[in-house]
Amino acid sequence: MPTILTVDDSRAVRTIVSKQVKDLGFEVEEAEDGVQGLAKLGECQFDLVILDVTMPNMDGPAMLAKMRESGNTTPVIMLTSESKRSIIAGAMKSGITDYILKPFKPEELRNKILSVLQGGGSPEDVVSSDQPGGAPAAGVAQKGASQAPGAKQFVDVMVVDDMENVHKRLRGMLPSHLTMHGLTSAQSALASAREKVYRVILIDTEIPDVNSTVLAQQIKVLQPHAAFVALALRTSSAEQTKELKDQGFTDVMYKPFTQDHVDDFLVLYFDNQEFLTNEDNLLKVAPFVGKPERLERYFSRLAQLFPAVLNKVAAACYEEVIVDLGSVPTQGDRLPKLLVSVAGGAKEIGMNLSVVGPGEIHKMLASFEETRAIKCFGTVQEARAAGM
Amino acid sequence: MSAEKLAAELQGILIKRIQSDQLVVPTISAVVQKAQEVLHEGDQSTLKRAPEVLERDAFLAARALRVALGSKGGTGQNKITLGETVNKLGPRGVKTLLIEATAQKIFVSRDGEIANALRRIWEHSVAVAVLARDVLALSGHADSDAAYLAGLLHDIGKPVVASILLEAERQTTELYNRPWIPCSEWLDVISRTHRAVGQALSEKWQLPELIASCLKANVDYDNADRASPLNAVVFANALSKKTGLYAGTVDMEDIEAIIMIGRSLIGVNDEILKTLTKGLSDRVNGLFD
Repeated sequence: MPTILTVDDSRAVRTIVSKQVKDLGFEVEEAEDGVQGLAKLGECQFDLVILDVTMPNMDGPAMLAKMRESGNTTPVIMLTSESKRSIIAGAMKSGITDYILKPFKPEELRNKILSVLQGGGSPEDVVSSDQPGGAPAAGVAQKGASQAPGAKQFVDVMVVDDMENVHKRLRGMLPSHLTMHGLTSAQSALASAREKVYRVILIDTEIPDVNSTVLAQQIKVLQPHAAFVALALRTSSAEQTKELKDQGFTDVMYKPFTQDHVDDFLVLYFDNQEFLTNEDNLLKVAPFVGKPERLERYFSRLAQLFPAVLNKVAAACYEEVIVDLGSVPTQGDRLPKLLVSVAGGAKEIGMNLSVVGPGEIHKMLASFEETRAIKCFGTVQEARAAGM
Repeated sequence: MSAEKLAAELQGILIKRIQSDQLVVPTISAVVQKAQEVLHEGDQSTLKRAPEVLERDAFLAARALRVALGSKGGTGQNKITLGETVNKLGPRGVKTLLIEATAQKIFVSRDGEIANALRRIWEHSVAVAVLARDVLALSGHADSDAAYLAGLLHDIGKPVVASILLEAERQTTELYNRPWIPCSEWLDVISRTHRAVGQALSEKWQLPELIASCLKANVDYDNADRASPLNAVVFANALSKKTGLYAGTVDMEDIEAIIMIGRSLIGVNDEILKTLTKGLSDRVNGLFD
């Protein structure tokens, strides 16, 4: 188990450091000045020294110099209220590995201890440079200092707009299963981007005193996988969309937006993932939500999505594909037409189609010549059993 | 003439020009081009897009600040941003400033090394501005836009000295057909004079206190206000030098110490540090191509 020596004339600091070190599961020894520190180092081997600068009897830089003179290469983190560059530059010459300015946050101490004990290079190695003599970029970002992405909360949509009504309007037009955070300032948006993982980020291009392009770039650094959509008012420029895309936005949604615009946005960024999902050879169709006049659009989207998903199932070598229709609307002939096309598509790539749905769907399929042959079941289990 | 003597002579001339309000500093062609592009778009766009021009030229930004602050100067306006400066100037003020900027294109040195060093001076100012802004924004602190302007102006004396050196070069080579000083000496003259010139300019133009603080030599961090724009500029200046975006010699041990202290002081973790410097050269160079 690693053992750490903390050298500080303040009992309070030694107590805080010791507690942090013990919480990490390491052993700790204390010394209250450089003389005691050197004596401890003479008695046993330490994996890390956490060293103050200003102390009575022998200060930190003097202890460090004596350590190095005697050939002791134990890593040292300087923990001090001293921020004079000349003093720290001197300590760096004697080979300190890192530096913490008092007062410090516990997580900074923990992260730096772990970084040193896990064998990380100098923290300055993280600086990227394409200039001769500059330090190479190292993959230190994976270490303790950075928060694991898995620990972050996932949110579907971030909207940055100083007008709260824009948040309300968009929230009202998004399906309820999508999560959305509305933020009114650049600072709150950046803070949220540090804490959460977003799928799509919409940024108003007219926030007072905010350069939206720069804000998008800054958020992009924190959210490298998100899509960035500009929320803009139409101007007279014919090139407006192109200009916004040139500034780094993936797309543009113009204000005032309507349900149609939001639906187009959903198709682009969400429907492919949520509208028709598959798990092995079971395809699930999302229920229809919205006004009846949008039913046509719902079915045409399904028709667009099915071929790719069927191919995915076929690529996994399944001979049977089960489509769970759930509560797909049965009015008119849209569903039979869709299923005829899906069954045909499945057959073309060597698969048989079964559908799962309530009795109403069974009746409807039986009433059309073209769909009468499609196998229909009440539950997924029944469909699976029949296919075995 | 030795670099020391030339520096003293030029410093004297520049300080006299500053005092008598006769200082003219032309701008580099990339900035002139951008200003022309913005002016071409018409009055509506000029105000909106003016920051795109000012954010890449320290002297132009300082002039805008001077006009915007008026006779009161920077009193009580410590953390001003470029956006606020442009708003205070108003459409007419912005237009006048940009028109003047397009009329004053800088002389291009015949010495490729000097021409390159001049570009590096512009790039370094912008790099420090970008890094100062982003380090505060990414570390979760306020005032990132004020840090941009302070970063942009932290070496304001350099373009001023560079412009008079170029003026002297033009006269020496074109009028008197004599050889000009080498680049190392050119940089030495700038290094000897820019602080005094920058401070004289800051005093005369009553630039905000934050900018005046950034202009001092060997600025140390302010422990009392860890996430201040001043600390961001000190950190950004060192980081920009470390990444090579600088014209002149650097003390790498000093730079490393400033970065190490700044990381703990401001709260810059590995991830943020890596992000700040990744592709920085391309981002900054792109503004001047």
